[in-house]
Amino acid sequence: MLAIQVTGLTKTFHTKQKAAGLGASVHSLFRPEYKTVEAVRGLSFEMESGELLGFIGPNGAGKSTTIKILTGILFPSGGEATVLGYVPWKQRQKLAYHIGTVFGQRPQLWYHLPAIDTLTLFGKIYEMDDRETRHRIAELAEAFEITDLLETPVRKLSLGQRMRCEVAASLLHKPKLLLLDEPSIGLDVVAKQHIRDVLREMAKQENVGVLLTSHDAGDLEALCKRVIIINHGQIVYEDKVSTLKRSFLTSKLVEVRYAEQVPIDFQIEGTETLKVAKERYGAKLRFDTRTTPVEKVMVALSAAGTLMDITVSDPPLEEVIAAIYKQGASPFP
Amino acid sequence: MKKYLAVFKINLLNSLAYPAELVTRSAMILLFMWVFFQLWHITFAAAGSDTINRLTLRDTMWYLLLAETLELGRPRLARVVSEQVKDGSIAYLLNKPYNFLLYQLSSGLGESLPRMGMLFILGGALVWVMAGPPPDLVNWPLALVALAGAWLLHFCVNSLIGLSAFTVEEVAPFEWIYQKLVFILGGMLIPLDFYPAWLQTIARSLPFAYMMYGPARLFVLPDMQLFIQILTGQLFWFAILGGLLLLVFSRGMKRLAINGG
Repeated sequence: MLAIQVTGLTKTFHTKQKAAGLGASVHSLFRPEYKTVEAVRGLSFEMESGELLGFIGPNGAGKSTTIKILTGILFPSGGEATVLGYVPWKQRQKLAYHIGTVFGQRPQLWYHLPAIDTLTLFGKIYEMDDRETRHRIAELAEAFEITDLLETPVRKLSLGQRMRCEVAASLLHKPKLLLLDEPSIGLDVVAKQHIRDVLREMAKQENVGVLLTSHDAGDLEALCKRVIIINHGQIVYEDKVSTLKRSFLTSKLVEVRYAEQVPIDFQIEGTETLKVAKERYGAKLRFDTRTTPVEKVMVALSAAGTLMDITVSDPPLEEVIAAIYKQGASPFP
Repeated sequence: MKKYLAVFKINLLNSLAYPAELVTRSAMILLFMWVFFQLWHITFAAAGSDTINRLTLRDTMWYLLLAETLELGRPRLARVVSEQVKDGSIAYLLNKPYNFLLYQLSSGLGESLPRMGMLFILGGALVWVMAGPPPDLVNWPLALVALAGAWLLHFCVNSLIGLSAFTVEEVAPFEWIYQKLVFILGGMLIPLDFYPAWLQTIARSLPFAYMMYGPARLFVLPDMQLFIQILTGQLFWFAILGGLLLLVFSRGMKRLAINGG
């Protein structure tokens, strides 16, 4: 079953324009000029129920606008969409019982009250009975490790703690679909990792579909199987995260550490030395898998000295996305 | 209905989260009542009579106290809703399974009640000392009913102004105009009874009198005929303003543009 089906979705905003200065202000009072911004331009995509789909793009690409249309908050200017079988902007309240949302930049927890108060309120709003709410809160509190934080006023929590409570709150009513708009914004690495792990676990356990927008390629790599990249309101790439990596991540990064010091001009054939560690016990290299097989590099590296440690990794997804952006909206394999 | 009760409750808790702030903010009514007392004390002395159009100084002061309690204690919904539209937090309020207007109503009530209570207690204590004891307890029920009606009308007008933020960017001017109309035509600064007859007629045919004068006047000089008149007026204006609110909300939703992309 499809959780989301979007066909030819468009959204146009008309914003008032005003040049600088008093004269222009007076002028705009009598003859306002409007600028048309096409935030979403003919977007079409589908999402299976229980799927983890990443939705990424630069600022102003139309990600949040799309999410807001899919939750029923914004009316589209054109096109069609169904979410869990509902037309969001016509059946907003009915749909609301089945979806959870987190807008990373906007807290939904009551700032001056402990999180437990907001959770209890949500229980009532989603018409859960009190026992069910209590049970569910305990369950989520354990999963997100927030049991000890529930009684503390939200304003006294760290951002990471607060976000864990936010995500837990969005899962309270057991939604079938979770729409996450920048859930990891501003979090440190550990906090991000924690949220990702729990989300992945919960999604699997409860078969919740997750549509995630993010700037952070790490969110995508950790959570999503499939990715849609949008720019200027249009889809520029849509495929599996693994395919994305295979077709665009043709280079590998290698970090090595040796038992003895390496020469300052450390070189391995077929690779580019990015950096030799300060104490010269290790180095960081990059190579292209199309010209240099991984195996060959490994052999050469181990021949260069007594290996203590070695890590091979893909370059961060940001680089891939940047490469795609550079190519604009041209089609991709 | 349970969910709206829960919304009311959490707002109540939220306004009580900082009791010191609640008391301090409400304390400004002391200044207002003191100034009013000086003003009307001199006015009554100059008039050389104990009553002006049936109202004594004590009546006038308790009238003004109730009017000020309502004015200072009613939720600032116009500003709240327009802020929610401007900063985008309305996204969270609209994607929950409840009626948005009923949500605002119960949340406004939860915010308003503790404030009105505190204003009335503090201001009332001062008025009692300066002008004499409060009106007879039998006056209270009628005034309370009219007060609830007035609060509802304020809710409608405020929400209408707030929702206009869906289409216009700044609602403060509308709020300013509305507040001044309530001041003058609602009888908040001066009881309508003190106005010339023609101005009273105009005021009574507008909604503002039912939003302020009605409950305040019933509080100090109750009268069954006036009560029925006020209640009918409130119902009439509630039907018009409430209907308009529903219309504006459903049309506004189609035009909503949320900031912060």
